[in-house]
Amino acid sequence: MILITKLVRYGSIAAAIVGFYAIFMISRTQAARQLPTSSDPPIIPPQKPYVEAVAATGILEALSENVAIGMPSPGLVSSVWVKVNDLVKKDQPLLALDNRDLLAEQLSTRAQHEIARAQITVSEAQLAKLTSQLARLTAVADSRAVSLDDLENRKQDVAISQAQLVSAKAQLAATESSLKRIDLLIDRLTVRAPRDGSIIQVNVRSGEYAANTPKNPAMILGDIDKLQVRADIDEQNASRIRPGQAAHGYLKGDPTVTFPLEFIRVEPYVIPKTSLTGSSTERVDTRVLQVIYSLTRPSDPPLYVGQQVDVFIEAPDHHPKP
Amino acid sequence: MTGLALKMLFGDTAKYVMLIAGLFFATFLIVQQASVFCGLMLWTTATLKNVAAPIFVVEERVEQINETNPMRDTDVDRVRSVSSVRWAMPLYSGIQRVRLSDGSFKTVQLVGIDAASLAGAPGRMVEGRLEDLRLPNTVVIDQLATTRLASNPKDPSTKIKIGDRFEINDVEARVVGICEAMRSFTGGPYVWTTYERALQYTPPSRKMLSAVIAAPVKGMSVEEAAADIERTTGLRAYVNHTFGKDTKDFNTSTVWWYIRNTGIPISFGTTVIIGFIVGVAIACQTFYAFVLDNLKHLGALKAMGMSNVKLSMMLLVQAFTIGIIGFGLGLLATSGFAMGALKNGQPPFFMPWQIPVCAFVAVQLICMLAALLGIIRLSLYEPAMVFRA
Repeated sequence: MILITKLVRYGSIAAAIVGFYAIFMISRTQAARQLPTSSDPPIIPPQKPYVEAVAATGILEALSENVAIGMPSPGLVSSVWVKVNDLVKKDQPLLALDNRDLLAEQLSTRAQHEIARAQITVSEAQLAKLTSQLARLTAVADSRAVSLDDLENRKQDVAISQAQLVSAKAQLAATESSLKRIDLLIDRLTVRAPRDGSIIQVNVRSGEYAANTPKNPAMILGDIDKLQVRADIDEQNASRIRPGQAAHGYLKGDPTVTFPLEFIRVEPYVIPKTSLTGSSTERVDTRVLQVIYSLTRPSDPPLYVGQQVDVFIEAPDHHPKP
Repeated sequence: MTGLALKMLFGDTAKYVMLIAGLFFATFLIVQQASVFCGLMLWTTATLKNVAAPIFVVEERVEQINETNPMRDTDVDRVRSVSSVRWAMPLYSGIQRVRLSDGSFKTVQLVGIDAASLAGAPGRMVEGRLEDLRLPNTVVIDQLATTRLASNPKDPSTKIKIGDRFEINDVEARVVGICEAMRSFTGGPYVWTTYERALQYTPPSRKMLSAVIAAPVKGMSVEEAAADIERTTGLRAYVNHTFGKDTKDFNTSTVWWYIRNTGIPISFGTTVIIGFIVGVAIACQTFYAFVLDNLKHLGALKAMGMSNVKLSMMLLVQAFTIGIIGFGLGLLATSGFAMGALKNGQPPFFMPWQIPVCAFVAVQLICMLAALLGIIRLSLYEPAMVFRA
């Protein structure tokens, strides 16, 4: 009995002491389980180069903008003479559309041309014949030997034949200009570079059908020695933008790549924002002011047209400090 | 005198055990239930702990992290444009359904972070590389997900490993990392991916940006920067420290939202109060009976000239002692529960130091109340009564 009393007494005291110790250990374990508190992200995001700046998302374009090469008419592509990255001069042929229908027309027009030429010879011979007949009649000295009616008919015949010759010549001229027209139309089917630049994208191969869709141009031409950045600024920050403000760009995906930007212009028309953030469906939810900056292409790392850029524009904050 | 008091206390084993038991139950109920409540409330702020960013910028009227009103993508640039912001990155957070290889569905808490800086990434990786998140169709899951998304959660061999695949809304997700994360209130595991991919995993809607996470420039406090963001952009900027008095803290705001809008505090509060009442009832009743039993001895001491104050002190020492021992036993039982909870990750358990301190005060209050009844009884007792019987 005494043993049980003692057991209860000391046991309970010992258990209570263990209890205090255990709860202390629990709170230690719990503290160790706590996740680390806020710290900088694994890769330090772009640092703002200015104290007061407007941030924007931009896209790299070729300077003087990218030219989406248009087709004169939709048709089959017969040959493509340039590759991506080719440097092209103004008026250099880029691709040709199928022109067999025009060649066929040219053949028949050429035949017409030959006919017209032959027609002239026929008319000339006819005229010569009638002229000599008239000459013979007028050469007769005795006026009674030739009837006046006959003479008059001969004269009329010569005049008609002369008119026929003129008509045949006009016919020839018509077929000639028809041939020239076909040549022009054939030439039109060869698409040429509208200006000097590099081929940035080729979307057609020979044998494909090239249509005139502005969303999917056959080729894109641009000057990629110098690039420009088209920066989208939220309309709520648009009032802070002035022409000539300094700016810095950071390549999206690698914040260590940074380059100064040179102001070109502010687009005067505020457009609905098209999402640059990778979603397949375009979401238009706000309007953006676009500002264009140019940059010289750094040699390393290479920049590519179409890459996204985080842009910081030095612009004073209008909001009053408290 | 103290020795005498303790001898008297330990002498009556049955009453002693009864007293200890009452206080043990009171302590256990108060500490354990309060800790489970705190753990549950901590779970509601799990996203804030897992995405450890100093500032969360959300839509103007958002009060808690688990229910955000989406914003426009350009709002990231607006926050970036605030002078006191060093960096600002987009964050997607939402509940999505995962389809497993056997066709069953599980919900997960999907978090989308900026791919370049990985701002908002999990704090501790267990396996795999965080940078692999930039590969196509990749996700980083937490440790809970390894069993939760397994085809047979009971069988460790089916655990999700690096390289395993599942589907989120019909889009493939390949596991490239496993990290440590706090559990979410909804019970779903956390799945990290890049912001752009999170938008692909999520059914499209007009606005998708859940929050913008940001940090202040060097030399500026988080609170100042948050106030600056609110003033300039009109959005709501919360700081992310921990639950406290600060209503500008997202943790505080989230927890208070749950306290105001759910029945959780009522249910746990009732249990804590019942624990207190049980403690009071058992302890007071038993201690009073104990005093009555020993009234003869106490009366004899009084007759021998011991003052009322000294006798009261004796009773207080006894009450204090059983208070400490009962409390210790209660803590031991709570520790046992806590060890299980911390090992399994559930039920929720979080015990800030305030809980045991408050429980100690409560238990001592019960003991002092019990002692008070004894003291009143004793002071009414005439020493002469001892000799009369």
